[in-house]
Amino acid sequence: MSCTVRIPSPLRSYTAGAGMVAADGGTVEEVLASLERRFSGIRFRMVDEQSRIRPHIRLYVNTGEVTALSQPVVTGDIVHVICALSGG
Amino acid sequence: MPLSAAELSRYHRHLSLPELGRGGQERLKNARVVVVGAGGLGSPAALYLAAAGVGTLGLVDCDRVELSNLQRQVLFDSAVVGRVKTEAARERLLALNPEIIVVAHTLTLLAENVLDILRGYDVVLDGTDRLTTRYLVNDACVLLGKPLVSAAIHRFEGHAMTYLPGRGACYRCLFPKAEEGVVASCAEAGVLGVLPGVLGAIQATEAIKIITGIGEPLVGRLLTYDALELRFAEFPFARRADCAVCGEHPTITAPMRPESCDSADLSSVHRLTASALRDRLASDPGRAALALIDVREPQEFETCHLAGARNIPVAELVRRLGELTDGCTPVFLCRSGRRSLTACALAIRAGIEAPAHLEGGLLAWAAEVDPTFEVASG
Repeated sequence: MSCTVRIPSPLRSYTAGAGMVAADGGTVEEVLASLERRFSGIRFRMVDEQSRIRPHIRLYVNTGEVTALSQPVVTGDIVHVICALSGG
Repeated sequence: MPLSAAELSRYHRHLSLPELGRGGQERLKNARVVVVGAGGLGSPAALYLAAAGVGTLGLVDCDRVELSNLQRQVLFDSAVVGRVKTEAARERLLALNPEIIVVAHTLTLLAENVLDILRGYDVVLDGTDRLTTRYLVNDACVLLGKPLVSAAIHRFEGHAMTYLPGRGACYRCLFPKAEEGVVASCAEAGVLGVLPGVLGAIQATEAIKIITGIGEPLVGRLLTYDALELRFAEFPFARRADCAVCGEHPTITAPMRPESCDSADLSSVHRLTASALRDRLASDPGRAALALIDVREPQEFETCHLAGARNIPVAELVRRLGELTDGCTPVFLCRSGRRSLTACALAIRAGIEAPAHLEGGLLAWAAEVDPTFEVASG
């Protein structure tokens, strides 16, 4: 399965500034692993050592919130990574 | 209180809107709104709320106007650089609309005063640039039962959401916890000047809707805005039963600061000035005693870094702390000294007894030691 991942502004330093990147995988976990292979270190910014989504990060597949990394992803889906912002 | 003849003229375009009308304008006149942070977001929000005729407008900020604020903080102009923000803003807002009352709260919002400040208002707008204050304001609004319109920005991206007591999720339901430094600030990363104009105007819109009871508020939906792609999106989020402040068994029953580097014991941190670091490096050319750890993002590091520095972004530090246990004192470096202090807090929590950081960051290094050093904007 191939999908698109929207990268939030604070993590674009890993993707050379790209806001949309392609990734592969049949689950959110596999999509994150695919991202990690291309952009080393980015997965850990989203999930912790116990594979829990970090509390300042939210993941959505299209507009549905991801509550488990085993959630399926199908071709054409957009995985949105949303990161808390602090600026005012 | 009824509208005067001058007010009927001033607000004519509002009165022409049947959804708002005279009743809505009177509700605006009788309303009290407080804007936390007279910065990029607070500037347009306060200007539009004043123009709209919100009767009492409070402004909370402890800073003075700096030249670098003027790129986005449209409440201010060059003539007020150096002045206390709340006072300069008050004059500007009263010049725009002398029919209203503007209250200047020139202070730092803390757990000790937040309830007293916010209690006197009907709606709270959060435009602060500190995560600790963002959680403090959210928690206070939940505890006081006050509507909150929150927004945040970073580089080219912005978020907005509204909390209405009893109707939906709060900011802590959206992001239960976040640490200062791990989430980069605008000062560190930069921000497109017009971006907070969009988000601040959305905050003012929400406040006007809440006060007048029109439309559908941004409750349970996170609005995201990407200025580069000119794309808005929204994502639903629900109240969390385990939310620490609005959940079924809240653990936050009084204002408190979330865990951050502010709450860590930093007394053991060696705070090196740029010239002190230069001298230490000169006396340790082989780096036998010091390990330079640059905790900025990879692209900032690539632009320019100190010779011998290793790049470990602050968000990866906990996972990579093992790389530091080589007997050297880690000296954490970043752009301004903010992320490096967070790195010190993380290192101390992990058992590293006396880390060091560069006070003032690489900006200070460029100013005091090496003017050719190019500090990336983040």
